[in-house]
Amino acid sequence: MSDSKDQDLNPKEIERSAEEILRVFTRVIESLPVEEETYYGQELVNPLRPDGEPSPPSVRREFRKCFISIMPASDDDGKLRVEVARWAR
Amino acid sequence: MTSKKLYCNCPTNYAEVPPNTNVCPICTGMPGAKPMMPNEGAIDAAVEISLMLGCEVVKNKPIYIQRKHYDYPDLPSGYQRTSLPIAMNGVLEGVGIREVHIEEDPGQYDPVSGTVDFNRSGVPLVEIVTEPGMRSPEEARNFLRTLTRVLEYTRKVRPEAGGAMRADVNVSLEGGGRVEVKNINSIKGAYRALKFEMQRQAERIRRGEVVTRETRAYLESQMITVPMRTKEFEEDYRYIPDPDIFPIIITEEMVERIKKQMVEPPHLREKRLARQYGISPQAARVITSERELADLFERVAAEVQPQLAADWFRTKLKKVLNYVNLKARDVRFTPTQLIRLLKLVETRKIPREHGELALRELVKEPDDPERILERLGLSPPKPEELDSVVNTVIREHKQAVCEYLEGKSEVLNFLTGKVVAASRRRADPREALAILRKKLEEIREKGI
Amino acid sequence: MGTLEKIEAIRNGELSATENVELALERIRKLNGKLNAFLEINSKAMEEAGEVDRMLKAGEAGKLAGLTIAVKSNINVKGLRATCASKTLEDYVCPYDAEVITRIRREGGIIIGMTNMDEFACGSSGETSAFGPTDNPAAPGYIPGGSSSGSAAAVASAMCDLALGTDTGGSIRNPASHCGVIGVKPTYGLVPRQGLIDLGMSLDQIGPISPDVPGSVLLLEVIAGKNQAEGMMMDVERVSYGELNGGVKGMRIGVSPQFSNLTDPRITGVIEKKVEFLKDLGAEIVEIRLPHIEQALSAYYLIVSVEFFSATRKYDGRKYGKRIESVCGEEVLRRIMLGSYISRREYRGRYYQRALQVRTLIRKELSLALKQVDAIVGPTVPKLPHKLGTRLTPLEMYAYDYLTIPANLAGTCAGVVKAGEVNGIPVGIQVQGKPLGEEKILRVMRALEVESSKSG
Ligand SMILES: [Zn+2]
Repeated sequence: MSDSKDQDLNPKEIERSAEEILRVFTRVIESLPVEEETYYGQELVNPLRPDGEPSPPSVRREFRKCFISIMPASDDDGKLRVEVARWAR
Repeated sequence: MTSKKLYCNCPTNYAEVPPNTNVCPICTGMPGAKPMMPNEGAIDAAVEISLMLGCEVVKNKPIYIQRKHYDYPDLPSGYQRTSLPIAMNGVLEGVGIREVHIEEDPGQYDPVSGTVDFNRSGVPLVEIVTEPGMRSPEEARNFLRTLTRVLEYTRKVRPEAGGAMRADVNVSLEGGGRVEVKNINSIKGAYRALKFEMQRQAERIRRGEVVTRETRAYLESQMITVPMRTKEFEEDYRYIPDPDIFPIIITEEMVERIKKQMVEPPHLREKRLARQYGISPQAARVITSERELADLFERVAAEVQPQLAADWFRTKLKKVLNYVNLKARDVRFTPTQLIRLLKLVETRKIPREHGELALRELVKEPDDPERILERLGLSPPKPEELDSVVNTVIREHKQAVCEYLEGKSEVLNFLTGKVVAASRRRADPREALAILRKKLEEIREKGI
Repeated sequence: MGTLEKIEAIRNGELSATENVELALERIRKLNGKLNAFLEINSKAMEEAGEVDRMLKAGEAGKLAGLTIAVKSNINVKGLRATCASKTLEDYVCPYDAEVITRIRREGGIIIGMTNMDEFACGSSGETSAFGPTDNPAAPGYIPGGSSSGSAAAVASAMCDLALGTDTGGSIRNPASHCGVIGVKPTYGLVPRQGLIDLGMSLDQIGPISPDVPGSVLLLEVIAGKNQAEGMMMDVERVSYGELNGGVKGMRIGVSPQFSNLTDPRITGVIEKKVEFLKDLGAEIVEIRLPHIEQALSAYYLIVSVEFFSATRKYDGRKYGKRIESVCGEEVLRRIMLGSYISRREYRGRYYQRALQVRTLIRKELSLALKQVDAIVGPTVPKLPHKLGTRLTPLEMYAYDYLTIPANLAGTCAGVVKAGEVNGIPVGIQVQGKPLGEEKILRVMRALEVESSKSG
């Protein structure tokens, strides 16, 4: 299995296997009773966070340095460089 | 505008700092970053705006924060967090408000240079969705202006700040598909985009071509719309409730607290001012254009004749403020100073023209009106001065004096005019007339 | 030497933090080439140990002072690489510390390195790593289990003192069972996830892997408790598990016939012996029913795929790393495809929401069962591990997770301790508890551990 990643993946085949899994799994749960959906790991009442003093600049300065250093490309102002939009060309 | 972003503690003043300064792992979508709990200030603002727009707030019901998935360079996590409606079914001057909800703003992507700044990413955004029904670009523009005024009244948003208010507009003509236009950053932009889009669609229909349902982008530089043909804007956003954020619940107490500190919405205040003070709708419109201007008006109207005050606000004060490019919230004179000035006008202690000159000065260099008039050399003449002016006029208009003494009392008006003119229009005509009459009667008795 | 003895030795100066780190580095040098448990070693570990030694001298030692901690590669450690064992994040140097790392550092723990894992924690064998599989130190040639494969192998081979794993559907408990070590999946919301790279946000928890129960207790006490900077947390400030050696006398312990239906009889045999033993110690054994445990698996994979699809949208290759679909392995791609498909507007109701309903059902069943008992014991993994390199179908692979998934769907806690061996391969017994029932399950685990050490 460890050498499988050296071969090119076959997305079509993977998609087929995903469809197969979906078929099997859906069949299993189809007949179970209807319940409310559970979306969260725990049913907690989530308090809100008060607005107030923002984070100190020193923390953000440090993060900015790291952030820019891991960007694949950036400009001199520290903006992330990405593709030009097709519709703007 | 809150101080902190919606789901992190970065500051929200994105326009004032260098690119990628107001950022942290959360608002840049670093692997492993989790949102903080929603910023309460943003929820409050959304509720307040909803109430001002006459919406029904969704109370005591979980309002899920959904992930709206799409791929775009300004969206650091590949989804935007957007709440289910906070409020629904409002109306603003005849336009239905379908719903109000909260979103996080994406970063700022420059589509031409292909660069992204995430300073804005995660700043809270209130989205207001209207019902269809506006029939022209002009109608849409008027609505947006009215809406802007409401938003300014809350002091929670600064719509006039560049890009802080954005619009997606939908255009649908008889016989064509609905077209959505994105990337609009101002009211002017919305108006132009709508105008362009209506003409484009009408032209196609006229030529017998099909107007397909699509999403287009407005290009401000060229004032045109272009198709956003990217597959990124496919229609299925695969909404799921964000598993990292518990739904918001707005309680009755929250709504009551917000109602208490909320101000009267401008469109309602406008109508009330017209009714309560008996002023013209035009004046009420101008006065309520800014919350602080309307506040000032109501202070003044308590002491000065309201119609006079309204007239001065509409035709003079607002013009001066516009001329010096000042918002009512930024004026430095005190309400009392303005009241005293208008009282001088009301009681005709000074002529209107002098009042206007003093008003201009009041805005530029605030001071007590009496001192301003003195500075301008426009103080009403002292009794001795007025006396000597009257004497001079009597001396110089012997003919008129004789006519008066002969019983032609209407000459008195002519002489009064002369006195006022000789005082460089500082003398109160009624006072001048009284002194003149007194002096002329003395002459009649004693002779010259 | 147990974890507590080692701490004692470091406290009273018999062993310095620096020496302890040297020991670990030495073992890593010797064993990692074969085991492939670590993907990166912290080059500053010695420096950090020196700092801890200075603190120790000054009498300011934290709870973990001088211990070496291995970290799964899906947890952010500033300056190291959290690759998730994927080409996607191959070059991702963490710009920040996860909250659990901050807490470990504060208590003097030394991050020794980043461990191997299944790619993005998608797997139960440790084989889907883009950087090669991890071997099982307790049963060489067999899979160590996953997805916290490297962390379990590192602990089992004493390349570190303690390790952090993460558990979404069994990813701590499964490798702990196969490698014969201790692992705990805490209650959902007990341990901060800030800095943990998502698999399924509503299921993921960080937890300890250790050579003995006191080691897991210690690490859990350091990392657990509320974090102001995230929302989905239990209202618990800090935890402290004092009654660890209280024994099981009088405890009600549940067992379910549904477990053995799904499990290899040889494994069931090992587990039953331990149940007998708990009875001997004075526990009351109660039969409980978990009728839909088998169906939980289907619901789990549908839910986790949707959450994982959502979580991976940020790997667009623009800000860092590479676009995930372009470089990821088969299992990761399969889950993204599955998640993308079933979250489509037209299928949501039929698949995703249906799965979420089954989740509710499982949660109700498990909480009903847990109301009747203090803890539930049973097997951890229904099958013995396969030989490294054996090709399994996805469904065969998923079948490893039948018994661990319910605790994640329900948000409850569960731990694993070695119960015995089958053909020389370790078999772990799983102890499940109520939400925030860690103290009780740790007590049961400790009782089992003490018994094992006595019987040799
Ligand atoms: Zn931020």
